[in-house]
Amino acid sequence: MKILLAEDETAMQRAIQAFLSIQHCEVDLASDGRKAVEMAENGVYDCYVFDIMMPGMNGIDALQHLRGSGDKTPAIFLTAKVEVDDRVHGLEAGADDYLTKPFAMKELLARIHSVTRRSEEYTPSKLTFGNVDFDADNDTLTCKSSIQLSSPEGRMMRYLLLNPQKSISSETLYHHVWNEKENPDADEQMVWIYISYLNQKLDAIDADIKISGEESGPFSLVSNQSNGL
Amino acid sequence: METNQKNQTINSIYGDYQKHLCEILETLTNRLSKANETFRLKNGEALYEHINGRIKSEQSMRDKCRRRGLPCTPYSALHELTDAIGLRIVTTFREDINQVIETIEHFEDCRIIEKKDYIHNVKPNGYRSYHLILDYETPFEDVCGHTPGHYFVEIQLRTIAMDTWASLEHQVSYKKNIDPKREKLIRQELKRCADELASCDISMQTIRNLIREDHAHENTAR
Repeated sequence: MKILLAEDETAMQRAIQAFLSIQHCEVDLASDGRKAVEMAENGVYDCYVFDIMMPGMNGIDALQHLRGSGDKTPAIFLTAKVEVDDRVHGLEAGADDYLTKPFAMKELLARIHSVTRRSEEYTPSKLTFGNVDFDADNDTLTCKSSIQLSSPEGRMMRYLLLNPQKSISSETLYHHVWNEKENPDADEQMVWIYISYLNQKLDAIDADIKISGEESGPFSLVSNQSNGL
Repeated sequence: METNQKNQTINSIYGDYQKHLCEILETLTNRLSKANETFRLKNGEALYEHINGRIKSEQSMRDKCRRRGLPCTPYSALHELTDAIGLRIVTTFREDINQVIETIEHFEDCRIIEKKDYIHNVKPNGYRSYHLILDYETPFEDVCGHTPGHYFVEIQLRTIAMDTWASLEHQVSYKKNIDPKREKLIRQELKRCADELASCDISMQTIRNLIREDHAHENTAR
Protein backbone atom coordinates (compact mmCIF):
# COMPACT_ATOMS: atom_id res chain seq x y z
CA MET A 1 0.00 0.00 0.00
CA LYS A 2 1.29 3.44 -0.92
CA ILE A 3 0.45 6.49 1.16
CA LEU A 4 1.01 10.19 0.60
CA LEU A 5 1.61 11.97 3.90
CA ALA A 6 1.41 15.76 3.99
CA GLU A 7 2.74 16.98 7.32
CA ASP A 8 5.00 19.93 8.20
CA GLU A 9 6.20 18.79 11.63
CA THR A 10 9.36 16.74 11.26
CA ALA A 11 8.85 14.71 14.44
CA MET A 12 5.34 13.72 13.39
CA GLN A 13 6.53 12.86 9.85
CA ARG A 14 9.18 10.53 11.18
CA ALA A 15 6.90 8.84 13.68
CA ILE A 16 4.18 8.11 11.13
CA GLN A 17 6.62 7.03 8.45
CA ALA A 18 8.46 4.71 10.80
CA PHE A 19 5.30 3.08 12.06
CA LEU A 20 3.67 2.63 8.65
CA SER A 21 6.85 1.22 7.09
CA ILE A 22 6.81 -1.58 9.64
CA GLN A 23 3.23 -2.26 8.54
CA HIS A 24 4.43 -2.66 4.92
CA CYS A 25 3.13 0.70 3.79
CA GLU A 26 5.26 2.80 1.50
CA VAL A 27 5.09 6.45 2.59
CA ASP A 28 5.89 9.48 0.42
CA LEU A 29 6.36 12.77 2.26
CA ALA A 30 5.13 16.24 1.36
CA SER A 31 5.95 19.12 3.67
CA ASP A 32 3.07 21.37 2.64
CA GLY A 33 -0.21 21.42 0.69
CA ARG A 34 1.24 22.64 -2.58
CA LYS A 35 3.87 19.89 -2.61
CA ALA A 36 1.17 17.33 -1.75
CA VAL A 37 -0.95 18.40 -4.75
CA GLU A 38 2.04 18.17 -7.04
CA MET A 39 2.96 14.69 -5.81
CA ALA A 40 -0.63 13.47 -5.94
CA GLU A 41 -1.00 14.67 -9.49
CA ASN A 42 2.05 12.75 -10.61
CA GLY A 43 1.96 9.65 -8.46
CA VAL A 44 -0.44 6.85 -7.68
CA TYR A 45 -1.52 6.44 -4.06
CA ASP A 46 -3.93 4.22 -2.16
CA CYS A 47 -4.58 6.80 0.55
CA TYR A 48 -3.83 10.43 1.41
CA VAL A 49 -3.08 11.43 5.00
CA PHE A 50 -3.07 15.23 5.16
CA ASP A 51 -2.46 17.50 8.13
CA ILE A 52 -4.91 20.40 8.09
CA MET A 53 -2.63 23.13 9.47
CA MET A 54 0.33 23.58 7.16
CA PRO A 55 2.18 26.67 5.94
CA GLY A 56 1.25 27.92 2.46
CA MET A 57 -1.58 25.78 1.13
CA ASN A 58 -3.35 23.96 3.95
CA GLY A 59 -4.58 20.37 3.82
CA ILE A 60 -8.21 21.28 3.15
CA ASP A 61 -7.37 23.45 0.13
CA ALA A 62 -5.01 20.77 -1.19
CA LEU A 63 -7.67 18.07 -1.04
CA GLN A 64 -10.32 20.36 -2.47
CA HIS A 65 -8.03 21.03 -5.42
CA LEU A 66 -7.44 17.31 -6.00
CA ARG A 67 -11.12 16.38 -5.68
CA GLY A 68 -11.92 19.16 -8.12
CA SER A 69 -9.73 17.53 -10.75
CA GLY A 70 -11.52 14.21 -10.30
CA ASP A 71 -9.14 12.48 -7.90
CA LYS A 72 -11.10 9.90 -5.87
CA THR A 73 -8.27 8.54 -3.72
CA PRO A 74 -9.44 7.99 -0.09
CA ALA A 75 -8.22 10.72 2.28
CA ILE A 76 -7.82 11.13 6.03
CA PHE A 77 -7.24 14.48 7.75
CA LEU A 78 -5.07 14.96 10.81
CA THR A 79 -6.15 17.87 12.96
CA ALA A 80 -4.65 19.37 16.06
CA LYS A 81 -7.71 21.42 16.68
CA VAL A 82 -10.66 20.27 18.65
CA GLU A 83 -13.04 22.65 16.87
CA VAL A 84 -15.99 21.03 15.20
CA ASP A 85 -15.79 23.48 12.24
CA ASP A 86 -12.39 22.24 11.24
CA ARG A 87 -13.54 18.65 11.05
CA VAL A 88 -16.69 19.65 9.19
CA HIS A 89 -14.72 21.63 6.61
CA GLY A 90 -12.34 18.75 6.15
CA LEU A 91 -15.10 16.22 5.54
CA GLU A 92 -16.92 18.59 3.22
CA ALA A 93 -13.76 19.17 1.22
CA GLY A 94 -13.93 15.47 0.37
CA ALA A 95 -12.10 13.70 3.18
CA ASP A 96 -13.30 10.23 4.10
CA ASP A 97 -12.26 10.37 7.74
CA TYR A 98 -10.28 12.42 10.27
CA LEU A 99 -8.13 11.90 13.34
CA THR A 100 -7.53 14.39 16.14
CA LYS A 101 -3.99 14.76 17.46
CA PRO A 102 -2.73 13.17 19.55
CA PHE A 103 -3.75 9.78 18.23
CA ALA A 104 -2.56 6.22 18.54
CA MET A 105 -0.61 4.97 15.52
CA LYS A 106 -2.56 1.77 15.34
CA GLU A 107 -5.75 3.78 15.09
CA LEU A 108 -4.32 5.63 12.07
CA LEU A 109 -3.51 2.30 10.45
CA ALA A 110 -6.99 0.95 11.19
CA ARG A 111 -8.57 4.06 9.65
CA ILE A 112 -6.34 3.80 6.56
CA HIS A 113 -7.48 0.19 6.15
CA SER A 114 -11.08 1.21 6.70
CA VAL A 115 -11.16 3.98 4.07
CA THR A 116 -9.22 2.02 1.45
CA ARG A 117 -11.50 -0.98 1.91
CA ARG A 118 -14.54 1.23 1.47
CA SER A 119 -13.12 2.84 -1.64
CA GLU A 120 -12.64 -0.58 -3.24
CA GLU A 121 -16.32 -1.25 -2.67
CA TYR A 122 -17.65 2.16 -3.56
CA THR A 123 -15.71 3.31 -6.57
CA PRO A 124 -18.17 4.77 -9.04
CA SER A 125 -19.56 2.20 -11.42
CA LYS A 126 -19.33 4.54 -14.42
CA LEU A 127 -15.89 5.86 -15.32
CA THR A 128 -15.01 8.01 -18.30
CA PHE A 129 -11.80 9.13 -19.98
CA GLY A 130 -11.45 10.49 -23.51
CA ASN A 131 -14.32 9.16 -25.59
CA VAL A 132 -14.47 5.91 -23.61
CA ASP A 133 -17.09 4.93 -21.03
CA PHE A 134 -16.47 2.06 -18.69
CA ASP A 135 -19.23 0.33 -16.80
CA ALA A 136 -17.37 -1.19 -13.84
CA ASP A 137 -20.37 -3.22 -12.66
CA ASN A 138 -20.51 -5.17 -15.90
CA ASP A 139 -16.92 -4.73 -17.15
CA THR A 140 -18.20 -3.23 -20.40
CA LEU A 141 -16.05 -0.79 -22.35
CA THR A 142 -17.98 1.46 -24.73
CA CYS A 143 -17.03 3.97 -27.38
CA LYS A 144 -18.16 3.61 -31.00
CA SER A 145 -19.17 0.04 -30.18
CA SER A 146 -18.94 -1.87 -26.95
CA ILE A 147 -16.82 -4.77 -25.82
CA GLN A 148 -17.10 -7.08 -22.85
CA LEU A 149 -13.95 -7.40 -20.72
CA SER A 150 -12.85 -10.36 -18.60
CA SER A 151 -12.70 -9.67 -14.87
CA PRO A 152 -8.92 -9.08 -14.56
CA GLU A 153 -9.13 -6.80 -17.61
CA GLY A 154 -11.99 -4.97 -15.91
CA ARG A 155 -10.01 -4.49 -12.68
CA MET A 156 -7.03 -3.19 -14.62
CA MET A 157 -9.17 -0.82 -16.69
CA ARG A 158 -10.86 0.50 -13.55
CA TYR A 159 -7.54 1.17 -11.84
CA LEU A 160 -6.16 2.94 -14.92
CA LEU A 161 -9.32 5.04 -15.26
CA LEU A 162 -9.11 6.04 -11.59
CA ASN A 163 -5.53 7.18 -12.20
CA PRO A 164 -5.48 8.58 -15.73
CA GLN A 165 -2.32 10.15 -17.13
CA LYS A 166 -0.27 9.00 -14.16
CA SER A 167 2.79 6.84 -14.49
CA ILE A 168 2.02 3.46 -12.90
CA SER A 169 4.67 0.79 -12.37
CA SER A 170 4.11 -2.76 -13.55
CA GLU A 171 4.38 -3.89 -9.92
CA THR A 172 1.69 -1.50 -8.66
CA LEU A 173 -0.65 -2.52 -11.44
CA TYR A 174 0.02 -6.18 -10.74
CA HIS A 175 -0.82 -5.84 -7.05
CA HIS A 176 -4.04 -3.99 -7.79
CA VAL A 177 -5.29 -6.50 -10.32
CA TRP A 178 -4.19 -9.88 -9.04
CA ASN A 179 -4.53 -11.36 -5.63
CA GLU A 180 -1.42 -13.37 -4.90
CA LYS A 181 -3.27 -15.77 -2.65
CA GLU A 182 -5.76 -16.62 -5.38
CA ASN A 183 -3.26 -16.66 -8.24
CA PRO A 184 0.05 -17.90 -6.85
CA ASP A 185 1.27 -18.62 -10.39
CA ALA A 186 0.58 -15.17 -11.78
CA ASP A 187 3.55 -12.85 -12.12
CA GLU A 188 4.32 -9.41 -13.52
CA GLN A 189 4.54 -10.83 -17.05
CA MET A 190 0.75 -11.06 -16.89
CA VAL A 191 0.62 -7.29 -16.68
CA TRP A 192 2.04 -6.87 -20.17
CA ILE A 193 -0.31 -9.46 -21.67
CA TYR A 194 -3.32 -7.69 -20.15
CA ILE A 195 -2.02 -4.27 -21.22
CA SER A 196 -1.80 -5.69 -24.75
CA TYR A 197 -5.37 -7.05 -24.56
CA LEU A 198 -6.72 -3.73 -23.37
CA ASN A 199 -4.86 -1.73 -26.00
CA GLN A 200 -6.20 -3.96 -28.79
CA LYS A 201 -9.72 -3.70 -27.35
CA LEU A 202 -9.53 0.09 -27.01
CA ASP A 203 -8.41 0.20 -30.63
CA ALA A 204 -11.27 -2.09 -31.71
CA ILE A 205 -13.90 0.30 -30.34
CA ASP A 206 -12.14 3.33 -31.90
CA ALA A 207 -11.12 4.80 -28.54
CA ASP A 208 -9.07 8.00 -28.52
CA ILE A 209 -7.11 6.77 -25.49
CA LYS A 210 -4.47 4.08 -25.03
CA ILE A 211 -2.09 2.66 -22.44
CA SER A 212 1.42 3.81 -23.19
CA GLY A 213 4.58 2.12 -21.97
CA GLU A 214 7.13 -0.55 -22.82
CA GLU A 215 6.81 -4.17 -21.76
CA SER A 216 8.54 -3.61 -18.40
CA GLY A 217 6.48 -0.52 -17.59
CA PRO A 218 5.73 2.03 -16.27
CA PHE A 219 2.35 2.45 -17.91
CA SER A 220 0.07 5.39 -18.31
CA LEU A 221 -3.46 5.82 -19.62
CA VAL A 222 -3.15 8.65 -22.11
CA SER A 223 -4.99 10.34 -24.92
CA ASN A 224 -3.98 9.24 -28.43
CA GLN A 225 -3.83 12.81 -29.67
CA SER A 226 -1.30 13.91 -27.07
CA ASN A 227 1.33 11.84 -28.89
CA GLY A 228 0.36 13.23 -32.25
CA LEU A 229 -1.07 9.91 -33.39
CA MET B 1 -50.65 -21.10 -60.61
CA GLU B 2 -48.93 -24.09 -62.19
CA THR B 3 -48.16 -22.15 -65.33
CA ASN B 4 -46.76 -19.36 -63.25
CA GLN B 5 -44.40 -21.69 -61.44
CA LYS B 6 -43.35 -23.27 -64.71
CA ASN B 7 -42.65 -19.85 -66.19
CA GLN B 8 -40.51 -18.93 -63.23
CA THR B 9 -38.33 -21.97 -63.74
CA ILE B 10 -37.97 -21.38 -67.43
CA ASN B 11 -37.78 -17.60 -67.29
CA SER B 12 -35.20 -17.09 -64.60
CA ILE B 13 -34.95 -13.60 -63.16
CA TYR B 14 -31.30 -13.86 -64.19
CA GLY B 15 -32.35 -14.46 -67.83
CA ASP B 16 -29.72 -15.88 -70.16
CA TYR B 17 -27.00 -14.75 -67.78
CA GLN B 18 -27.97 -17.40 -65.24
CA LYS B 19 -25.60 -19.96 -66.77
CA HIS B 20 -22.62 -17.67 -66.19
CA LEU B 21 -23.31 -17.05 -62.53
CA CYS B 22 -22.38 -20.54 -61.34
CA GLU B 23 -19.26 -20.49 -63.43
CA ILE B 24 -18.17 -17.14 -61.98
CA LEU B 25 -18.82 -18.42 -58.47
CA GLU B 26 -16.80 -21.53 -59.16
CA THR B 27 -13.90 -19.65 -60.73
CA LEU B 28 -13.60 -17.27 -57.80
CA THR B 29 -13.97 -20.02 -55.20
CA ASN B 30 -11.26 -22.06 -56.90
CA ARG B 31 -8.98 -19.08 -57.14
CA LEU B 32 -9.38 -18.31 -53.45
CA SER B 33 -8.83 -21.97 -52.51
CA LYS B 34 -5.64 -21.93 -54.52
CA ALA B 35 -4.52 -18.71 -52.81
CA ASN B 36 -5.27 -20.36 -49.48
CA GLU B 37 -3.11 -23.34 -50.38
CA THR B 38 -0.22 -21.17 -51.60
CA PHE B 39 -0.42 -19.10 -48.42
CA ARG B 40 -0.43 -22.22 -46.24
CA LEU B 41 2.62 -23.67 -47.96
CA LYS B 42 4.47 -20.38 -47.58
CA ASN B 43 3.44 -19.44 -44.05
CA GLY B 44 2.53 -22.73 -42.42
CA GLU B 45 -0.92 -21.35 -41.59
CA ALA B 46 -4.00 -21.05 -43.75
CA LEU B 47 -5.24 -17.73 -45.07
CA TYR B 48 -8.78 -18.60 -44.10
CA GLU B 49 -10.67 -21.41 -42.45
CA HIS B 50 -13.37 -22.09 -45.03
CA ILE B 51 -15.29 -20.56 -47.89
CA ASN B 52 -18.95 -20.85 -48.94
CA GLY B 53 -20.68 -19.54 -52.00
CA ARG B 54 -24.21 -19.29 -53.28
CA ILE B 55 -26.26 -17.82 -56.08
CA LYS B 56 -29.17 -15.94 -54.58
CA SER B 57 -32.30 -18.05 -55.07
CA GLU B 58 -34.92 -16.96 -57.61
CA GLN B 59 -37.44 -16.40 -54.85
CA SER B 60 -35.16 -14.29 -52.63
CA MET B 61 -34.06 -12.21 -55.57
CA ARG B 62 -37.65 -11.57 -56.68
CA ASP B 63 -38.62 -10.69 -53.11
CA LYS B 64 -35.72 -8.30 -52.85
CA CYS B 65 -36.60 -6.58 -56.15
CA ARG B 66 -40.17 -6.09 -54.94
CA ARG B 67 -39.01 -4.72 -51.60
CA ARG B 68 -36.82 -2.23 -53.43
CA GLY B 69 -39.60 -1.33 -55.87
CA LEU B 70 -37.64 -2.70 -58.82
CA PRO B 71 -39.11 -4.66 -61.75
CA CYS B 72 -38.21 -8.38 -61.64
CA THR B 73 -35.78 -8.25 -64.55
CA PRO B 74 -32.21 -9.48 -65.13
CA TYR B 75 -31.16 -5.81 -65.18
CA SER B 76 -32.50 -5.26 -61.65
CA ALA B 77 -31.04 -8.54 -60.38
CA LEU B 78 -27.60 -8.15 -61.91
CA HIS B 79 -27.08 -4.42 -62.24
CA GLU B 80 -29.24 -2.61 -59.68
CA LEU B 81 -28.64 -5.18 -56.96
CA THR B 82 -25.19 -6.51 -56.21
CA ASP B 83 -25.66 -9.73 -54.28
CA ALA B 84 -26.73 -12.28 -56.93
CA ILE B 85 -23.34 -13.92 -56.47
CA GLY B 86 -22.27 -14.20 -52.84
CA LEU B 87 -19.18 -15.59 -51.14
CA ARG B 88 -18.52 -15.96 -47.44
CA ILE B 89 -14.96 -16.39 -46.23
CA VAL B 90 -14.52 -17.44 -42.62
CA THR B 91 -11.14 -16.90 -40.96
CA THR B 92 -9.63 -18.18 -37.74
CA PHE B 93 -8.28 -14.84 -36.51
CA ARG B 94 -9.32 -11.22 -36.86
CA GLU B 95 -6.23 -10.01 -38.69
CA ASP B 96 -6.58 -12.80 -41.26
CA ILE B 97 -9.49 -10.81 -42.66
CA ASN B 98 -7.13 -8.02 -43.76
CA GLN B 99 -4.85 -10.62 -45.29
CA VAL B 100 -7.73 -12.00 -47.37
CA ILE B 101 -8.74 -8.50 -48.51
CA GLU B 102 -5.16 -7.84 -49.55
CA THR B 103 -5.14 -11.08 -51.55
CA ILE B 104 -8.36 -10.09 -53.34
CA GLU B 105 -6.97 -6.62 -54.05
CA HIS B 106 -4.24 -8.33 -56.06
CA PHE B 107 -6.70 -10.14 -58.36
CA GLU B 108 -6.23 -8.28 -61.63
CA ASP B 109 -9.75 -8.79 -62.97
CA CYS B 110 -11.43 -7.76 -59.69
CA ARG B 111 -11.99 -4.25 -58.49
CA ILE B 112 -13.30 -3.65 -54.96
CA ILE B 113 -15.97 -1.00 -55.43
CA GLU B 114 -17.31 -0.92 -51.91
CA LYS B 115 -16.05 -1.84 -48.44
CA LYS B 116 -18.39 -1.98 -45.48
CA ASP B 117 -16.54 -2.48 -42.23
CA TYR B 118 -19.06 -3.73 -39.69
CA ILE B 119 -16.19 -4.90 -37.49
CA HIS B 120 -15.35 -1.34 -36.53
CA ASN B 121 -18.81 0.03 -37.25
CA VAL B 122 -20.63 -2.68 -35.31
CA LYS B 123 -24.35 -2.90 -36.03
CA PRO B 124 -26.54 -2.07 -33.02
CA ASN B 125 -27.53 -5.72 -32.57
CA GLY B 126 -23.83 -6.71 -32.27
CA TYR B 127 -23.34 -7.95 -35.86
CA ARG B 128 -19.71 -7.89 -36.90
CA SER B 129 -18.48 -8.72 -40.40
CA TYR B 130 -16.56 -7.13 -43.27
CA HIS B 131 -18.43 -6.78 -46.56
CA LEU B 132 -16.90 -6.23 -49.98
CA ILE B 133 -18.57 -5.63 -53.32
CA LEU B 134 -16.44 -6.66 -56.27
CA ASP B 135 -16.73 -5.65 -59.87
CA TYR B 136 -15.50 -8.79 -61.60
CA GLU B 137 -14.53 -8.71 -65.25
CA THR B 138 -15.43 -11.89 -67.15
CA PRO B 139 -15.14 -13.09 -70.75
CA PHE B 140 -18.95 -13.37 -70.84
CA GLU B 141 -21.44 -10.78 -71.97
CA ASP B 142 -23.10 -8.88 -69.13
CA VAL B 143 -26.62 -7.57 -68.65
CA CYS B 144 -25.66 -4.21 -70.19
CA GLY B 145 -24.53 -5.97 -73.37
CA HIS B 146 -20.80 -5.42 -72.79
CA THR B 147 -18.17 -8.06 -73.56
CA PRO B 148 -15.99 -8.57 -71.59
CA GLY B 149 -18.82 -8.27 -69.11
CA HIS B 150 -18.86 -7.01 -65.54
CA TYR B 151 -20.58 -8.91 -62.74
CA PHE B 152 -21.02 -7.92 -59.12
CA VAL B 153 -19.88 -10.30 -56.40
CA GLU B 154 -20.56 -9.72 -52.72
CA ILE B 155 -18.08 -11.10 -50.24
CA GLN B 156 -18.62 -11.40 -46.49
CA LEU B 157 -15.53 -11.84 -44.36
CA ARG B 158 -15.67 -12.80 -40.71
CA THR B 159 -13.99 -14.89 -38.03
CA ILE B 160 -15.33 -18.25 -36.87
CA ALA B 161 -16.71 -16.57 -33.73
CA MET B 162 -18.48 -13.85 -35.76
CA ASP B 163 -19.85 -16.52 -38.11
CA THR B 164 -21.21 -18.66 -35.29
CA TRP B 165 -22.86 -15.59 -33.78
CA ALA B 166 -24.39 -14.58 -37.13
CA SER B 167 -25.94 -18.00 -37.63
CA LEU B 168 -27.49 -17.84 -34.16
CA GLU B 169 -28.81 -14.34 -34.79
CA HIS B 170 -30.25 -15.54 -38.10
CA GLN B 171 -32.24 -18.19 -36.21
CA VAL B 172 -33.79 -15.56 -33.96
CA SER B 173 -34.63 -13.27 -36.87
CA TYR B 174 -36.40 -15.99 -38.83
CA LYS B 175 -38.24 -17.54 -35.93
CA LYS B 176 -41.83 -16.42 -35.97
CA ASN B 177 -44.22 -15.93 -33.07
CA ILE B 178 -41.67 -15.53 -30.29
CA ASP B 179 -43.09 -13.90 -27.17
CA PRO B 180 -41.96 -10.23 -27.51
CA LYS B 181 -40.70 -10.10 -23.93
CA ARG B 182 -38.66 -13.22 -24.49
CA GLU B 183 -37.35 -11.95 -27.81
CA LYS B 184 -36.15 -8.75 -26.18
CA LEU B 185 -34.29 -10.78 -23.58
CA ILE B 186 -32.75 -13.05 -26.21
CA ARG B 187 -31.65 -10.06 -28.30
CA GLN B 188 -30.08 -8.45 -25.25
CA GLU B 189 -28.18 -11.65 -24.47
CA LEU B 190 -27.12 -12.01 -28.11
CA LYS B 191 -25.68 -8.50 -28.02
CA ARG B 192 -23.73 -9.26 -24.84
CA CYS B 193 -22.52 -12.50 -26.40
CA ALA B 194 -21.33 -10.63 -29.52
CA ASP B 195 -19.31 -8.24 -27.34
CA GLU B 196 -17.80 -11.15 -25.40
CA LEU B 197 -16.89 -13.02 -28.57
CA ALA B 198 -15.28 -9.89 -30.01
CA SER B 199 -13.29 -9.60 -26.80
CA CYS B 200 -12.12 -13.23 -27.11
CA ASP B 201 -11.27 -12.76 -30.79
CA ILE B 202 -9.04 -9.82 -29.87
CA SER B 203 -7.44 -11.66 -26.94
CA MET B 204 -6.63 -14.63 -29.19
CA GLN B 205 -5.20 -12.34 -31.85
CA THR B 206 -3.09 -10.61 -29.15
CA ILE B 207 -1.77 -13.94 -27.86
CA ARG B 208 -0.97 -15.00 -31.41
CA ASN B 209 0.97 -11.75 -31.93
CA LEU B 210 2.86 -12.27 -28.65
CA ILE B 211 3.82 -15.80 -29.72
CA ARG B 212 5.00 -14.46 -33.07
CA GLU B 213 7.04 -11.71 -31.40
CA ASP B 214 8.73 -14.29 -29.15
CA HIS B 215 9.43 -16.39 -32.19
CA ALA B 216 10.91 -13.40 -34.03
CA HIS B 217 13.12 -12.59 -31.01
CA GLU B 218 14.36 -16.18 -30.88
CA ASN B 219 15.21 -16.09 -34.56
CA THR B 220 17.14 -12.81 -34.29
CA ALA B 221 18.95 -14.10 -31.20
CA ARG B 222 20.27 -17.08 -33.11
